[in-house]
Amino acid sequence: MSRPDPAPHSRTAAYRRSPAKVMRLPRMGCSHPTRLSFLRVLLRRMEEGGWQVDRPAWEMDAAGVGHAVYRARGEGRIYSLVAFSHDLPDEMRSDRVIATAWDATFTLFDGDPSAADIERLRVNVPLQEAGRISTRELALARANRSVRLFRHVVEALADGRQPDTDEIAAVGYLMRTTAVYGSGKFGAADRGDIADRPELSAPFQAEMLTVWLIRAFTVDIVEHMAAIRGGDRAVRLAPEIRRTLGVGNSTGLGMAPFVVRHPVLLNNWIDAREEALARVRAQSGATDAAVAGLRAALEAAIRNAAAWTSEHEVQVPKLRDLRGDLTRLADELARWDWSRDHPWDALWHWGIETLTPEGQEALLALMLEPHGALVDDLADRMGADEAACFQLDGAMRVRELRRILDDRYGWALEIDFTAPRNVARFWYVSEEKLEPRLGERASETGAMLEQPLCIARLASELDCTLTDWDPDATVASVLLAHPEHRYIVRRAQVARDHPYAEIQDNLIGEDMLPIDLLRCKLAFFGASQFDPRSDRWVRINLFQGAPYPDEIGKGIAS
Amino acid sequence: MSSVPGDQTRGDSTPFIAGGGSVALSRNEVAALCLKAARGAGMSWGLAEEAGFAASWLTAHGFDGPGELRAHLDEAQGRAWEDLCPDIAPGAWRAAAPDRPLCPIALGATLCDHAALPAGPCQDRPLALGPVDHPLLLLPFLDTVAQAQGVVLSLDWDGGRIVIGGPGVGLRDAGVFTQRRAVELTLSATPGTVRDAALTPAPRIAAETVAALNAFALRTTVPPSAASRAGAGSAGSDND
Repeated sequence: MSRPDPAPHSRTAAYRRSPAKVMRLPRMGCSHPTRLSFLRVLLRRMEEGGWQVDRPAWEMDAAGVGHAVYRARGEGRIYSLVAFSHDLPDEMRSDRVIATAWDATFTLFDGDPSAADIERLRVNVPLQEAGRISTRELALARANRSVRLFRHVVEALADGRQPDTDEIAAVGYLMRTTAVYGSGKFGAADRGDIADRPELSAPFQAEMLTVWLIRAFTVDIVEHMAAIRGGDRAVRLAPEIRRTLGVGNSTGLGMAPFVVRHPVLLNNWIDAREEALARVRAQSGATDAAVAGLRAALEAAIRNAAAWTSEHEVQVPKLRDLRGDLTRLADELARWDWSRDHPWDALWHWGIETLTPEGQEALLALMLEPHGALVDDLADRMGADEAACFQLDGAMRVRELRRILDDRYGWALEIDFTAPRNVARFWYVSEEKLEPRLGERASETGAMLEQPLCIARLASELDCTLTDWDPDATVASVLLAHPEHRYIVRRAQVARDHPYAEIQDNLIGEDMLPIDLLRCKLAFFGASQFDPRSDRWVRINLFQGAPYPDEIGKGIAS
Repeated sequence: MSSVPGDQTRGDSTPFIAGGGSVALSRNEVAALCLKAARGAGMSWGLAEEAGFAASWLTAHGFDGPGELRAHLDEAQGRAWEDLCPDIAPGAWRAAAPDRPLCPIALGATLCDHAALPAGPCQDRPLALGPVDHPLLLLPFLDTVAQAQGVVLSLDWDGGRIVIGGPGVGLRDAGVFTQRRAVELTLSATPGTVRDAALTPAPRIAAETVAALNAFALRTTVPPSAASRAGAGSAGSDND
């Protein structure tokens, strides 16, 4: 098991937030993207590494059916997005994993694909889950059109005019991905095969690159359709409008268990973000450039909050809170005394006392924004060698295991699991679709097949078992007698050295909101415009405002 | 079950693998499939994780880990957990039930748990193990012990010796363990320089093995209901 430096952050320790504060679901459900988000990490790397992107293949017919290849070159490697474009009838368009066809399907190829590779991919990639890819591929994805906006943009461009910016702003993307798979899914290369490449060592870089290149495809295909339709009259999308388009993403419960199943990874994400905040707060003063950077970031955040819409009953009040908080922050900054000692820490404390959790987490993102030189290196520690943490320490004594439970799971041991409200839900996998779902224990069958996402209850059950054991007994002896505790003992040993590994809330309680898990994960991806469509299904936007491949390296802020 | 051939509506592609051919699985797919299958066959979640680890490790070292696990799960059907687990006595680990072979996953995990303990495998006396079913599945755990404790492990049986963690041939000889049942083993440890076992291209896995493991895995899933279908997607249309 990896043993981090016992005092890795001594200089910033006093400024760090505790796991008890940040690992609560309601706060995780207020997460905002930051400059440590994975798409930002990718864009910075491509900018700094002088990456070049071209499009060696564009073979589309008049119906927009065909294939294209986007080739990204940098740091001695080539990655190619192979895109297949389809003509999908409206009645077949669904964002769920149950869909069987899509407007476009994609794979990220490791290198420069040959004609034979393209043909192999052409018979597999459009099938998505029903096809197979190989270790030459790093990701598999699909996307559907935003029907209304896609049609509007094609019509406008074909007609020789730019699309209506209100229509663009109301949706924010031409297509939305409904799944982006990596890490060995469907025969693709394993994470372990690529994790030692510097450009892919941060989390989800292959997936982010896939989505960023898909964004370029969505614009190219809309311009292609407009040119077919409008002929000489057709125009291309204006760069300033194009910039406001991201790639949408629809995601549901399937993504939620990820942050529970990968405790070391979750720890490293949160730890990096919290260390970044602590470094900013620990500064004794503020430079003029940083203050100006904060103001610019706040203006962008205010514009983003104004454009961010949702009709969901949970999100509506959160957006109201956020807009109010950003206004309060702008007012405060107008009179903020930056000459005081530790002004960033003072600003943070003002935020804690004044703002809602939405505003506090937004303030965190804003405070990181002008401090790239201070915090960007933290992106290097957001990956995780999970295999290195797999081995249990059987020589550990029961006394030490109980101490870990008290230290790391005290919040769980306080929950009364005999109360129906605290066991109201259960996580399971559906036989029909093999996707994760959340059931109601009192009214649905299947609780016997519960997935081990009820971490708090498992910790509580382990604690109950351990009360009968000699404190000097070994964990090996306990597990020989109680193999059912092996799963939670492994987690507890991981949690000892990874304080942010566990979400400190009951994931089977009646008031648990799955979208809080989704928002946290998606914020780390860099998602904006978080828009719940139910308590377990959301739409988001990726790469909105970011440079396109033909703009990379031209100094456009990302 | 309501699936039809070619049904693509699943978050996993291994259910599509059937028939008489074979398939290249990623290590991630092997680990995920074998974890679910082991759980479906009755292992605890934590032990099922070990089964996934073991099968994936074997695949990465050129052995048919999924095939071994599939055979073991088939054969272990209906046997009580207590009968498969080791009873730890000084110098000899056997199944609690007389003449019953040990589960290599439970034995392997228990060996790892005891690696640094006096009752464990790294003392200066040999440890009799078994009989053990599908001892190939033990190798990933023995490799873990060798790496963690800095010992070279020798596994003796009436057909020869396999050395784990030492220089030279080592694992190449382990192929003789393929699909063996109820093998009596003697494990001994000597301090030494431990080498990483060489990674080998993964073998293709028989489609029939994948299908059989998926049948076990399906036992961890919940049949559909109106409530579960209703709750899964967006409240509105996706056609906007």
